[in-house]
Amino acid sequence: MRNKLIVVIFFTVLAMAAILVAIGLADTVPNAAGVAHPEFNGMQAGGDGAARLQHIGGLSFAFQCLLLLLIVSLSALGVDEKKRSPELWAYMGGTLLFSLFVWWQMYSAHQAYLETGTTSYFMGFPVATAWQVYGTWLSAIPLILLYSLGFRKFIFTEEDEKQYEQLLVDLAEKAEQ
Amino acid sequence: MEAYRQEIIVGAVAIYMVFCVATGLWAMKRTKNSSDFFIAGRGLGPVVVSLALFSSTLSGFGFVGGPGLVYSIGVSSFWMIVISSTGYALGFFLVAKRIRMIADLRNCISLPDIVAARYNSETVRFLIAVTIVLGVMGYLATQILAMAVVMQAILSGTAMFSDIGLVTCVVMSSAVLIFYCVTGGIIASVYTDVVQGAIMMVAGTLILLTAMSVFDGGMAEATSIILADDSEAMMPFGAAGIMASLGWFFVFGLGLAGQPHLVTKMMMNRKISDNRSILPMSLFGYVMAALLWVSIGVIMRAAVIDGVIEPLALPDDAASLFLSIFANPLLAGIVFAGLFAAIMSTSDAFLNIGTAAIIHDIPKAIRGHSVQNELFWARVVTVLLAIVAASFALYSHFRDATLVAILGAFGWATFAASIFPVLAIGLNWKGATAMGAVTAIVAALLINFIVQLAGIVLPYGILGGLISFVVSLLLFIGISLITKPPELDADMEAVLDI
Repeated sequence: MRNKLIVVIFFTVLAMAAILVAIGLADTVPNAAGVAHPEFNGMQAGGDGAARLQHIGGLSFAFQCLLLLLIVSLSALGVDEKKRSPELWAYMGGTLLFSLFVWWQMYSAHQAYLETGTTSYFMGFPVATAWQVYGTWLSAIPLILLYSLGFRKFIFTEEDEKQYEQLLVDLAEKAEQ
Repeated sequence: MEAYRQEIIVGAVAIYMVFCVATGLWAMKRTKNSSDFFIAGRGLGPVVVSLALFSSTLSGFGFVGGPGLVYSIGVSSFWMIVISSTGYALGFFLVAKRIRMIADLRNCISLPDIVAARYNSETVRFLIAVTIVLGVMGYLATQILAMAVVMQAILSGTAMFSDIGLVTCVVMSSAVLIFYCVTGGIIASVYTDVVQGAIMMVAGTLILLTAMSVFDGGMAEATSIILADDSEAMMPFGAAGIMASLGWFFVFGLGLAGQPHLVTKMMMNRKISDNRSILPMSLFGYVMAALLWVSIGVIMRAAVIDGVIEPLALPDDAASLFLSIFANPLLAGIVFAGLFAAIMSTSDAFLNIGTAAIIHDIPKAIRGHSVQNELFWARVVTVLLAIVAASFALYSHFRDATLVAILGAFGWATFAASIFPVLAIGLNWKGATAMGAVTAIVAALLINFIVQLAGIVLPYGILGGLISFVVSLLLFIGISLITKPPELDADMEAVLDI
C-alpha cells in the first residue's frame, strides 16, 4: 500500500544521502572535525571556522533543512491518514517554517561572527549558540502542543478509544470460545 | 560542613544504595510473573511513566559522558540535548499509542514481541532481539563503567578507601545493581526512577545556579572565556564541526523512538490517553535535569582555560571534579546519589530488555516458544548478563580510557538505525514489509559494526551511526515499496487504522 507521505519521506532521505555523498567527496580541511587543543590535554579545538565551512557550508545547510522537513513529515505520518486535515497540514507547515527560521538565524549569526569576529550575548551564550540552545529546543514545542492539546482531535479520539475497547472485547470473546 | 564533604557524599550514596536494596525487596513481593518483571503489568500511572522515561533517557552517559563531551568538544555535544523536544515528540507521535495497543492486544512483554506481531515474522523478532543483546552489551558496559568511575572518585577522597581500585568499584556497584534488578525487575527500576527523576530535576536547577556563581560574570563570562580561547568551540557547531553536530541531531533526535529501553516504557502505562500528559512531563523533567550536562561542561572547560583549576586527567572527570570543587557538600551528596540513581535505573532497564531478549524472544523466534519458568530464568540471566557486561566494561576501560562517552553513543546509534525504521515507521505504514525490515536491520548492524570496529574515520566528522541510519531508512522504505504489501492480521489492520 503506497501513500504519498511515505514517498515524500523516502525522497527526502534519498536527497540527504546524496548530500552526505557530496560532502564525503568534497575537498577537506585539516581541522574539519576538530584538532587537539594545543595547550590542554583532552580538549579539542575547532580552529578556523570559515575554512571548515568553505567547501561544505551550503551542503550542510541544505542537509539540515531536509532533516527538519523529515521531522515534520514523520510527525505527520504518526497521525492517522483520516485525521490529516488541512488544519493539521497548516499547523505542520507552520512548525516547519518556524524551525527553518530558527536554523537560518543560527547559521547566519554564526556566519556573521566568522566575518566580524564579534558577537553579542543572549542569556549566557553568544547569539548564534543561543539560537541553537534555546531556538532549536523551542522549535519542536509546537509538535508537543499539537500532541498534548490536540490529542483527542488528531491522535486518539473518543471514537478511536471506543473502537479499540471493542477490539479488546472481541478478542477476549474469541479467546473464550 | 566543608570539613565533612567526603563523608556527606559517601553517606548520601550509601543511603541511596540501601534505598535500592529496600526497593528491590519491596518490588519482589509485587513481581509475580514475567509480565510484572518485564513491563510492570501495564499498570503504571502517568507521573511514574514520565519520570521513568526521562530518567532512563538521561543515563550515566548524560551525567558522566555528557559534561565530559562539552569539556572535550565544546558546544558540539549540545546537539544531543537540544534535540530532546523533537526526539520526544517523534517518539510519541510514531510509537506511544500503537505500541501500547499491540502490547495489550497480543499480551506482548518485549519490543521483539511487538515487531513479531506487526510483521507476523519470527525473523524480524530474532533480528531485533539480537540487536538488543548486542546494543545492551555496549550500553550496559558504559553504565557500569560510569558508576565505577564515579564511585572511585568519591571513595578515593576518604582516608579509608584512598587506594581503592576501579575493579573493586566495578564489583561493589555491580553487586548492588544485580541485587536490586534480580529481586525487583522493572518495578524496582521504575519506582527508583521516580525518586531519581525528582532528585535530578532539583539537582539540575541547583547545579545551574552553582555553575553561574563560579565566575563573577556568570555563564556569559564562562562562555566568553571559551570563545576567546577557541571561538569554534563555543559557536553552534563546536570543535567537532558541523557534520558531527548535525549527525548527532539526526541520530539522537530520530533515534529516541528506536531506543528499546525507552519505547518499552511506553507499553507500561495504564491508559493510552495518559500519553498526552506523559509527553510534556517527560520533556520538562529531561530539560531540568539536562541543565547539569550543559552547565558543568561549560564551567569546567572555562575554569581550566582560565587557570582556575588544573587541566583534567580525563574529560569524563568533569562532573565528579565539579561537584567536589564547586558544589556545596550537601548538594554534591544529593547529586552523586542522583547520579548513581540515573546510572542504576538505566542499567536496570537495559538488563531487563537484554534478559527478555535472551530468555523470551530468541527462544521464541527459534523454537516457537519461550523458556519454561520465565521468571526464574529471568533472574538467572540478569545476573549473568551483568557479570559479562562488567567484564566487558573493565576490558574496554583498560584498552581505551575515553570509552564511557564513545560506547554510549555507539549503543544509541546502533539501536536508532536498526530499530527506528522497523518500529516507528512500521507502526504507521501498512505497506512496510518483513523483507524491508530484515534488510534494514542487517544493513544497520553491519555498517555500525564495520565503521566502529575498523575505526573508519569519515570526512568532516560524519558519524558512522548517521550513515547506517540513513541507509537503513532508505532500504526499509525502498524495499517495502517494491515488495508485495503484506496481508495483515485483522487485529493488526484495525490497530493501524486507529
